[in-house]
Amino acid sequence: MIVKKIGESMMTPLGFSVEENFAAVMSGRSELHRYESLWNLPFPCFVSLIPDEKLEVELAHELSAADRASLRTKFEKIALLSAVKSVKQSGIDPKSERVVFILSSTKGNVELLSDENPDLERVTPAHTAQMIANYFGNPNMPLTVSNACISGLCAQIEAHRCLKSGQYDTAVVMGADVLSPFIVAGFQSLKALSDEQCRPFSANRKGLNLGEAAAAVVYTVASESADGWQMLAGAVRNDANHISGPSRTGEGSYRALMSVLSESNLTANDLACLNVHGTSTMYNDEMESIAITRAGLADVPVNAMKGYYGHTLGAAGVLETLLSMRAVEEGKVIATRGFDELGVSMPVLVSSESVDTQKNAFVKLLSGFGGCNAAAAFVRV
Amino acid sequence: MELKDELKTKMIEALNLEEMTPADIDDNAPLFGDAGLGLDSIDVLELIVLLERNYGIKISDPKQGKEIFASVSTMADYVAANRTK
Amino acid sequence: MKVTYRVKLTPNYLEVDGKRVVEAVAGESFLTKLYHIYNMEYPKFFKMDVLCKVGFIASEILLETEGAERFVPRADRAVILFNRNSSLNADRTFQQTIADPQDFYPSPSVFVYTLPNIVTGEIAIRNKYHGESNFILLPEKSQKAMEQAIERAFLDAETKSVLTGWVEAVSDTEFEAEMELRR
Repeated sequence: MIVKKIGESMMTPLGFSVEENFAAVMSGRSELHRYESLWNLPFPCFVSLIPDEKLEVELAHELSAADRASLRTKFEKIALLSAVKSVKQSGIDPKSERVVFILSSTKGNVELLSDENPDLERVTPAHTAQMIANYFGNPNMPLTVSNACISGLCAQIEAHRCLKSGQYDTAVVMGADVLSPFIVAGFQSLKALSDEQCRPFSANRKGLNLGEAAAAVVYTVASESADGWQMLAGAVRNDANHISGPSRTGEGSYRALMSVLSESNLTANDLACLNVHGTSTMYNDEMESIAITRAGLADVPVNAMKGYYGHTLGAAGVLETLLSMRAVEEGKVIATRGFDELGVSMPVLVSSESVDTQKNAFVKLLSGFGGCNAAAAFVRV
Repeated sequence: MELKDELKTKMIEALNLEEMTPADIDDNAPLFGDAGLGLDSIDVLELIVLLERNYGIKISDPKQGKEIFASVSTMADYVAANRTK
Repeated sequence: MKVTYRVKLTPNYLEVDGKRVVEAVAGESFLTKLYHIYNMEYPKFFKMDVLCKVGFIASEILLETEGAERFVPRADRAVILFNRNSSLNADRTFQQTIADPQDFYPSPSVFVYTLPNIVTGEIAIRNKYHGESNFILLPEKSQKAMEQAIERAFLDAETKSVLTGWVEAVSDTEFEAEMELRR
């Protein structure tokens, strides 16, 4: 059975279409900025935010006034919009019982907790997923994958299982998260943030930048001869080491990579690139360089996108996969913005310039709190 | 209350060291690693918050934590020398 | 796909394979009581937020019941849990540490628990499970949705068994775990 991508969308600070985003990224742009006291937080931070006014204009363009009135939070708005645009582009019938909606989010509407009388029922992203399914009149219970920062890739793997199992024929996968004092203060308390441009895999890296985004992708069962992007394999593996720090040997990442390489029958030579997590913390990037080398992928171009968008949490897995696909279509490996001098113990091939490629496959890798790691192999036929 | 006892009491609460009393924590016993109380990197961060909140001491680099928090004694010395509250 | 063992844990009782095994007594912490009854000897338990404590206790009892060799690294068991409200209890606790600008002390040890999948991580660490771990939120508790997801988990060729179930804990006094081992 072949499963292929038939629709996509993106809502980010760099634009509200895949084309706009790809053009911005290829020209090295970013909307990561320093804020001295964002939301009156008592420390400076370096983040990338979706402009509210632009979002409102886009909402007015895509939704009726009645539908807009039911949306209370920025999270609900970007999640729903990403679904609406990708469904429209794919041409599917979202009311069909053969269609399932899968949301990926780490914190959903957590911002509601700062209200005086918080609507506790509405905080969970599962509530938003149901709102979205209801909007389309879809009869199936929507799923929400909340597996920390790997959620966006994990949700795509779950989508493929939904289709390969025969339970459904089409899956709409939406990844979304917005920033809030809760999230920014939380990462700050872990001393994981940098107050400057993040520098993936670099010697002088000092932490991650956060960002907000939504991205959606539609996969469907297709005929054997169908052209387009396919996920050949996907795997999630746990480090079984620490709830917030990665394994020093990159155990889970290594196992996920090996599983995916084995199942997809791809070798290092087949890959245009390995698009990784690359959060720019001392530990993550070092761990990934070890896992990459252990998996025999040291000669594959490695890139990371956190330097353009920051870490977009639940959206990252979908956003970064879609951009990697777009780049391979154009024969490119996107530059790792923010990279300067290699500062990890293994000599992985990271570049601050984009690289040309003739290959039509890539692997995506992500890691998250809770010791989880996900890898997936994609090929364009 | 003597500073060391005060620190032990606050640590037990901040780090959820349930089933421990201040009497169970030796002044000079290592806090980290398997030989000690088994505290980890998150505990270092929580102790940094404890020092700021109770004694007005700001530690910006968690790597300094390994020395400062080696034992209750080293912690007490550091607090006595640097407290602003 | 068969169910091999099951555990149900509420604030009032513990059931193992359908039989009531321990009842809660008013005025005591039921979770701490179970921790001692089953000799869990895992001090990290006390750092966990209630969602993790509930999931951890239920999994410990489930695995004791299975009786297989423990703490030997393996990659053939997935840990896939479900609830509706994610990590709401830890979220509310963390929110309190940042709510007052005059007393602003975001707690790292609380923040690490503000993700529902951390409970799957705690179970993986305790048991040295290197297989898949995942947490799926559902708008309501649905046996059908959970069954479909568990069935799908076996599409990963390395997964031979799944530790799974509904684990919800919105406060210290409102929680429920129904956990099973599936082959």
